[in-house]
Amino acid sequence: MSFGRPPNISTFKPTPPEKGSFPLDHEGECKQFVKEYLECLKKNQGNNGNCRHLSKTYLKCRMDKGLMTPEEMNNLGFQDDEIRRTEEK
Amino acid sequence: MYTTAILICGIGFTYASVPLYRMFCQTTGFSGTPITNSSKFGPERLVPAKESRRIRVHFNADTSLALDWSFIPQQREVYVLPGETALAFYTAKNKSDQDIIGLATYNVTPNKAGQYFNKIQCFCFEEQKLQAGEAVDMPVFFFIDPEFPEDPSMRDVDTITLSYTFFKAKYDNNGTLIPVPTL
Repeated sequence: MSFGRPPNISTFKPTPPEKGSFPLDHEGECKQFVKEYLECLKKNQGNNGNCRHLSKTYLKCRMDKGLMTPEEMNNLGFQDDEIRRTEEK
Repeated sequence: MYTTAILICGIGFTYASVPLYRMFCQTTGFSGTPITNSSKFGPERLVPAKESRRIRVHFNADTSLALDWSFIPQQREVYVLPGETALAFYTAKNKSDQDIIGLATYNVTPNKAGQYFNKIQCFCFEEQKLQAGEAVDMPVFFFIDPEFPEDPSMRDVDTITLSYTFFKAKYDNNGTLIPVPTL
């Protein structure tokens, strides 16, 4: 680290992602789910809460096609998704 | 007698300082050591904080001038709750007529919010090869740390900007991946 720089307590350090990098979807096997998710976001003005079920299906598609290491949905933050979706509405 | 004891302690401490320093670096991320402590990503932390306000995450994309790709975010912004995992997409298209390897890095602004931005999976730091004319969707799966609302210095943070920059890379004669500098 350099010495003599002005004191800056809020420096940003890029960190690697927890599960590494997504393999590229060269064949576009999950492209349909991408489209659905993006349309949902547009309709909801970017509100993530209402579109989470679609991101869940997209990740499930990736796992099924071998484009993502299979992982419990709980570990990806999708617990009680159904209940929350009805609450948001 | 005492000297021998002190000597032995001293040597022991020197040997122990290597793993101790490594443990210290990994927990605190001192000097840029990546923090791979996975307890931050435990399922009990990935619960949306419903009482919190939604934070706007804005997406930005850049490419180095040497890289002939078009790289754009597919959504301008998403509004997320702390602890709520979210998916975002970027699309990259190789506009040239050769296969090109790209390497991405990212930045989070404001700087002080960067420590609360946790990425579960993305496309940065590892090489991504696009064939000539190929277009591909690149997802980012992330969440804002649930401790974000408890930090008083984050009270004025309503927007977090995630900025990805793609650089061109290639393999040199030794098989090492090196960045291609901007011409």
